[in-house]
Amino acid sequence: MMNRNYNFAFLDEGSKREIRRAALKAVAIPGYQVSFGSRELPIGRGWGTGGIQLTLSLIGPEDVLKVIDQGSDESVNAVNIKKFIGLCTDVETTTKTSEATVIQTRHRIPEVPLTNRQILIFQVPIPEPLRIVEAREEVTKKMHAEKDYAPIWLQLYESLVKYNKVTIASEYPCMVSGRYMMNPSPIPKFDNPKLHRAECLYLFGAGREKKIYAIPPYTEVISLAFDDIPFEKENFKGKKCRLCGSENTYLDEMFDQHGDRFYQCSDTSYCQEVRDYVSG
Amino acid sequence: MTSQLSKKHSFDTVFDSQKVFRLILEAMSNPARVVGTKEFADKLFGEYPAFLAVAMTLLDNESCFNVCGNQLLSDEIASLTLAKRTPMESADFVFVCTANDMEPVIQKAKCGTLSDPHKSATVVIQNDGQPVCQMALAGPGINGCTVVRMTQVVKDALAFRDMQNYEYPQGIDLLFISDDGGLFSIPRLIQMEVQ
Repeated sequence: MMNRNYNFAFLDEGSKREIRRAALKAVAIPGYQVSFGSRELPIGRGWGTGGIQLTLSLIGPEDVLKVIDQGSDESVNAVNIKKFIGLCTDVETTTKTSEATVIQTRHRIPEVPLTNRQILIFQVPIPEPLRIVEAREEVTKKMHAEKDYAPIWLQLYESLVKYNKVTIASEYPCMVSGRYMMNPSPIPKFDNPKLHRAECLYLFGAGREKKIYAIPPYTEVISLAFDDIPFEKENFKGKKCRLCGSENTYLDEMFDQHGDRFYQCSDTSYCQEVRDYVSG
Repeated sequence: MTSQLSKKHSFDTVFDSQKVFRLILEAMSNPARVVGTKEFADKLFGEYPAFLAVAMTLLDNESCFNVCGNQLLSDEIASLTLAKRTPMESADFVFVCTANDMEPVIQKAKCGTLSDPHKSATVVIQNDGQPVCQMALAGPGINGCTVVRMTQVVKDALAFRDMQNYEYPQGIDLLFISDDGGLFSIPRLIQMEVQ
């Protein structure tokens, strides 16, 4: 039941308007990080406040909300964010990806392809892809302005020289619309291709770093790679989910009490849907 | 204060704003797709109620606007949103009521900088008239290429915009609103070719 002591969707209307203006500019300039005045929330910065602020600014009574954390609908972060948004909006929530109109996610893109009527909102800890090579914000801003991405390419090259492969496991940088280098948030490399020419709108919110950026539908998003060393995502060849048997999903590696290794779908909702389908 | 300003409106600043925002977001994400704002514009008053619906959704005392000399519209927007009136060159939002104003507006509207391209204007244009041509539009938000029928206003606006030769990411974003409340957008990355 909605708590009437707060404004609908918790934030005051001025805050929502600022975030909405930033989101529109972010959509108009794909991959560019728009600064915004990140608000205080009843949750610590770094726990998804950027995503929550975007969700609260977007959401309306007719929306159906899904929140996932590392693919799971039932983790602490996802459950509490869903409860919080439910308390201040009364919107319907779901675990089924296809039913949701707004999906907030931490570190995964659902396995079910999203449609044009859906919006996926990412919680982003470090939005700046150049931070790993340059600590100063004013310098990274200038590097983006000048499209100077040489240090990142050098980092990839050094990784190849040292280890014979690119060692970035998540937050793999990509180029958006051929102009901006973007951090896709800590999604696994497995999910990077889902960003390319997707039907849905992707919005990224970094509350602590006070940045919003976006990828509109059907936008070119290319993961960085050299001509002779193509981009490679995680390979689960020969492995399958122990619950649903899927072989084409991103799998979590786990160990039971005996130390035996097994694999399970990271996207719990997809895994459940497959099991429901199989069991009729 | 004019008599128009004393009129009461029934536009809900929480729920109607949210719905109009989602329509604008849909339009910005899917350029050339027309979304309907009539339901919300009808809750406002004056000669340009759809402009007021957009203004009430996006403007407040932290933003500034220009209306190309339309004093009544300027008073209405300032009164409803508390946004600041400002010269064309520094306005975050420019509302263009007549086609004749379009060329000077697009020439003067701020286009941001290479470092801060978001500090650029959103130009909201009254889109009157019948379609006169077909245009193929392409860019982010459009699946390949889409052919749409456009009015002279839209054709001219894009021609004026392209004459500015902005260096991307600098540029301006265009919103067109027709009499029937139909709204669509052409963000800076969308390119056209007349067929």
